[in-house]
Amino acid sequence: MLTTAPHLYIRRPSPTTAEFTVTTCPPPSLPLRLLQLTLLLLRLITISLALLALHARFGHDLPLSTASLPPFLANLLQPILSSAPATLLTRLAAQDATPDWLVAGTALGAVYGALAFRPHTTESVLVLRGLGIQTSTTSGGGGWGVQTRFIPTEKIRDVLINEAFRGFGVRYYLVVVVEGEEDVVVLFPGLLPRRRIVEAVWRGVRGCLWEGGEEGKG
Amino acid sequence: MSQSLAPECNEVKERYDTCFLKWYSEKYLRGVGTTDNNECASLFKEYSKCLQGALKERGIDKLLDEAREDNKENDATLMGRKKCKYGPSQPAHQRDSMHPFSILTLGIFVAGYITARWDLVTRLHELAIFAWNYGVVTRATKGFAVLSLVFFLIFLPVERLATREGNLHDGLMRVFWPADLPRSELRGVVVGWRNSALDVFVLAILEEVEPRNVEFALKIGTLLRNAPHPVSRIYELCGQSAIHVLGLSNTPDSIEADPSWIRATVGPGRRVPAVTCPRASSIQTILFERPHPGRMQYISLNPIALALGDKHDGFRQEVPDGFEDADEKEDRKKKQQKRQLVEKLKQHSIFKRVPSAKEKALAKIVNQINWAWELEKLLQKNVSRIGTRPKRSLSVSERVVESATTARDMMLVWMWDMFTIYVWPIIKRLFVLGLMAHRIAAEVLLRILEWRAQPGYAALKDISATAQQVEIRLQQFCYWPMQYVTLRLRKKDWESVTTSHPDYIRFYNSLWLVANDVIIGIALGSYIIDNAGWVAEQISQLLTQYTVDALQSSISWLMGWPAGLKLNNELGAFLGDLFLWVIDYWSSCIETLRPMLPHIIWFIGFSSFAGASMPIALFSDLLSILTVHIYSFYIASARIYHWQLNILISLFHLFRGKKHNVLRNRIDSCDYDLDQLLVGTILFTLLFFLLPTVMVFYLNFAIARMVIITLKAVFDTMLSCLNHFPLFALMLRVKDPGRLPGGIRFELRDTQDFRHSVNDPSNQVPSTSVIYMKSIPLNFKAMFHQYFQMGHRIRKHYLSPRVLLCLLTGKFVPPLNRKNLYSLQYSMLPARRAGVMDMWTAVNSLPEPKRRMQPVVVPVLANGKKIPSSFGGGRTRAYG
Repeated sequence: MLTTAPHLYIRRPSPTTAEFTVTTCPPPSLPLRLLQLTLLLLRLITISLALLALHARFGHDLPLSTASLPPFLANLLQPILSSAPATLLTRLAAQDATPDWLVAGTALGAVYGALAFRPHTTESVLVLRGLGIQTSTTSGGGGWGVQTRFIPTEKIRDVLINEAFRGFGVRYYLVVVVEGEEDVVVLFPGLLPRRRIVEAVWRGVRGCLWEGGEEGKG
Repeated sequence: MSQSLAPECNEVKERYDTCFLKWYSEKYLRGVGTTDNNECASLFKEYSKCLQGALKERGIDKLLDEAREDNKENDATLMGRKKCKYGPSQPAHQRDSMHPFSILTLGIFVAGYITARWDLVTRLHELAIFAWNYGVVTRATKGFAVLSLVFFLIFLPVERLATREGNLHDGLMRVFWPADLPRSELRGVVVGWRNSALDVFVLAILEEVEPRNVEFALKIGTLLRNAPHPVSRIYELCGQSAIHVLGLSNTPDSIEADPSWIRATVGPGRRVPAVTCPRASSIQTILFERPHPGRMQYISLNPIALALGDKHDGFRQEVPDGFEDADEKEDRKKKQQKRQLVEKLKQHSIFKRVPSAKEKALAKIVNQINWAWELEKLLQKNVSRIGTRPKRSLSVSERVVESATTARDMMLVWMWDMFTIYVWPIIKRLFVLGLMAHRIAAEVLLRILEWRAQPGYAALKDISATAQQVEIRLQQFCYWPMQYVTLRLRKKDWESVTTSHPDYIRFYNSLWLVANDVIIGIALGSYIIDNAGWVAEQISQLLTQYTVDALQSSISWLMGWPAGLKLNNELGAFLGDLFLWVIDYWSSCIETLRPMLPHIIWFIGFSSFAGASMPIALFSDLLSILTVHIYSFYIASARIYHWQLNILISLFHLFRGKKHNVLRNRIDSCDYDLDQLLVGTILFTLLFFLLPTVMVFYLNFAIARMVIITLKAVFDTMLSCLNHFPLFALMLRVKDPGRLPGGIRFELRDTQDFRHSVNDPSNQVPSTSVIYMKSIPLNFKAMFHQYFQMGHRIRKHYLSPRVLLCLLTGKFVPPLNRKNLYSLQYSMLPARRAGVMDMWTAVNSLPEPKRRMQPVVVPVLANGKKIPSSFGGGRTRAYG
C-alpha cells in the first residue's frame, strides 16, 4: 500500500535543466495520507515507549509526576501512563534480571529505527547543461539524508543503456562513463527501473546535457 | 439606389442620396468648393435620426453597441497602427510641397556664394586639376578598392563567424549569484567575472554608481585599491584577466544598456533575483552561499585529503616476500583485467565531444566562489571612490571617544615596540637554537633506527614497535617546524587561497593528538609508577600462568590420551618431554628475570610521560620478547608437521604408482620396483599413523601463536588510534562543516514563486531554472578511510582461505609486514623528511612579526568619508 512499482517524474523548468526522479512513492491520495498519518503515530508511540522504558530503568531520581505539567498535558498523559502496556513495559524495564545494556540498547535502537525508517526509495538524476549530472539517492529502510554525487560534464564520456542478467531476468540500466575512472556510474542503482523509464530518461539526458543533444546522438 | 434598412426612412434617404450624388459629381470631382460641403448635412442628419428611431424600435441598437464595445480594442490597435504607419509620411508630404521654393532659395544662395567667393572656386578648380595630374584620384580609388576588399574578405567573414558563434551556444545564460549578497532596492551596477559570453559570475552589486564610472574604475584598478596583498594573485587564481561590469540591478528598462548586460531585480523581500538578459533565451541562476575565507571555509570539487598523498605504495614493493608476492600478483592481475575493460569501453564511445568553454570553466568557478567573499568586501570598500553616498559626519561625543581610543592605542603601541625590540629577538633566537639542537639529535637517532646492515635486511624500526613509535614521534617533531613555516607564510597571502587548509588541519591534528597522548600518558604513567610493585606482580603472575603453566598442562594433557583420542604414546612422550625441557629452562630464565620486573615496569611507567603510546609500544615489544619460546615451538612443530605431510604426499604418489616430476612441475606415472613399493608402503603406513600425534602438538602451538598475534594486533590498533585518529577533523566537522569540503551538490528549486512575482505579462521572462549550489561536508567514511584500508588489509592477510590452508598444511604464516600495516601511521608524514639545513633556512626565512601601525590620523572629509592617508597608493582624493 505504501509503495508502488518505481515510476518516473520529470521536472523541467527550462529546456536546459531537468530532474528525473524515480520513486516508489505512490501519487498522493487519501488512503496514502491516512497511512502516512498512522505511520507518524506509530513512530511517536515507539519513541515515547522507548523513552518510558529508559526512564523506568535509569530515571529513578526524577519521578514521573504529571503534577508539574500544565493541566491539559497532564490530562493527556495520565491515561497513557496508567494504561496496561505502559505499566507492563515499565515493569519489564525495571526488572533487575535484564541487564542495563540490553534495555538501553533496545530503547535507543527503537528510537533510531522510528526516526530513520523511511518507506520509500527515491532516486533522482539532475541534469544541468554546462555543469553536469548529479545523482542522488534517498534509500528506503533506514538511513539519514541524501547521498549525492556530482559528475562534471567535462568528465562525462558517454551516457548509455546497458543490459545485464540478474537472476533469470534481463535488466536494462543507465550508465554514465566517467573519464579517468575505472568504474562506470550506474544511475538509479537501487531501483533499476523498467526499460521504458530508462529509455525515457536516456532521451531526456541526451537532449538536455549537451548542446544540440538530439542531433549529436550518433 | 438601395433601400434603406427601415422602409419609413426610404424617402428621406432618397433625398439625401440625390443631394450627395449631385455634390459629388458636380463639385467634388471637379475640385470646386471642397471646403463647404455642408449643403447635404441637414439631409444626412434627418436621415440618421429617422434610422435611429427605427433601430430603437426593433432593438438592434443594443446589439450594435455591444459589437462596438467588443471591437473597440481592435479598432484602437488598428487605428494606432494606422496612425504609426501614416504618421511620418504626413510631414514628408508637406516637405514635398515646399520643395520648389527651397530649391530656389538654395540655388540663389549657391549662385550668390560662388559669385562672392570666385577666387575660392578657381582655387578649388586648380586643386582638382593638380590632383588629377598627379594621380591622386587613381590612388584614392585604389585605396578605396583595397579597403573594401579587406572589408569583404576579412571583416565580413569575421562578423559572420562571430554571429555563428553567438548562435552556437543556444542562448543559455548561466549566472552564478551569491545567495548571501546584501539585498537592497537601490539601483546598482552588477560587477563580476565574465567567464564566457553567456557565463557570468556575480561578485558584487555596487549601489548608486554610474556604470560608466564603474567600468572606468575597473579598468584603471581603482576598485582594487588598498588591497592587502598583490592583486595579480586574484587574476591568476580566478583564471580571468579582469573584473567586468556584468549588468544593472533594479534599473528601469528605459535606461539603455549593453545587450550583453544582465538586468537583475533584487530586493529585501525577494530571495531569488530575477535576471533577464536580451541575448539569452533561457537562464540558469545558480545561487550559492559564499564560503567565509576568514573562517577557513571553502568548497572544492574533490573531497579534502586528510592524509598526505598516496606515496606509500612505493614502500610496499620494497620488501617482497613469497606470501606478499602472491597477493600482489593477484591484485596486479585484477588491475590489468580492469584496465583492459576500460580500454574496451573507451573504444565503445565513437566520437569525443569537445567540451565547451562553459563546461571547462567549472574548476575556475570553484576558485571564484572561494574568492567571492573577500573580493566583494574589497570592492565595497572602494566603492566610495567612484560614487558619493552621503554619510553623516562624527558627532562631538564620538570624536571624544575616538581621541581617547587613539591615546590608548598609542600607549599599547609603545609597549609593543619595547617588547619587539628588546625581548622578542632574544626569545626567538634561543628558541630557534633549541629547535636546531633537537633536530640534530633527532637526525642521529633516526639514522640509528633506520640503519640496515644490508639493503634487504630489516631495520630496527621494522622489528620493534617501540622503535617505530620513537621514529614516528621524531619524524613528527622534524616535520612540525616545516609545517609551521608554511602556515605562517599563508598569512602573507590572501585568505581565499585554499591550498594550505589541509596542511592546517593536519598540523593541528597531529599537535592535538600528541597533546592528548601526553595527557593520557601522564595519567597512565603516574598510575604505573605508583603501583609498580603490584603491576609487576600481576604481570609475572600472568606470564607464569599463561606462558608456562598453561603450556605445561596442555602438553602433559596431550601426552596422555587427549579427549579420548588414542595417540602414539612413544612419539607423544618424546615430543612432550622435548617441549617440557625447553619450557623448564625458559621458566628458570623468567625466574631470574622476575626481580628485574618492577624496575622494567617503573621504566615503562616513566616512559609514558612521553605519551601513552610509548608504554603500549613497550608492552607490545615485551610481549613478543616474553613469548619467544612459543614462537620457536610453533616454528619447530610446524616444520616437523610440514615435513611429515610432504613425505606422506610423495609416498601416496608412490603408493599409486605415480611421482611428482619436479622439472615439469606435474604428476607423472612411474614404474616402481617391488622392493621400492614395499618399503614405501610400509613407511607410508608408519608415518600416517604417527601424523595425528604430531598434528595435535602443532595445532596447540599454532593456536597459541594466533592468540599472540591477535594481542599484538590489538596493541597496534591502539597505537594507530593514538597516533592517527582524525580528532581535529571530527571536531571541525561538528563545529563548522564548511571547513571540510567533500564535493558540491546542486538542488533544483521551484521557479513558481519567482514567476508569480513578475506581474507584468508583457515582460517576456526567459525560461529560468533556479539552482542552489551547496557544499557537501566530508562524510565520516572518507575521514576514516585509512582505517578501513588498514582493516581491509589485515582481513585480506589473516582471514583469507589461503591462510587457513597454510595453517592446515603447516606452512609458516608470516606476520604482516609492519611497514605495510602501519602505512596509516605514516600517512600524515612526508615520504622524505627535510634535512637539517633545509630546516635552518626555513626557520630563518620566517617573516618578522608585524610592527603595529602608528594609529592613523584620519582626515574627516567634508562628506564624512574616512580615507586613511597612509595606506597604499597615497592618493587621498576620492573620485566622484
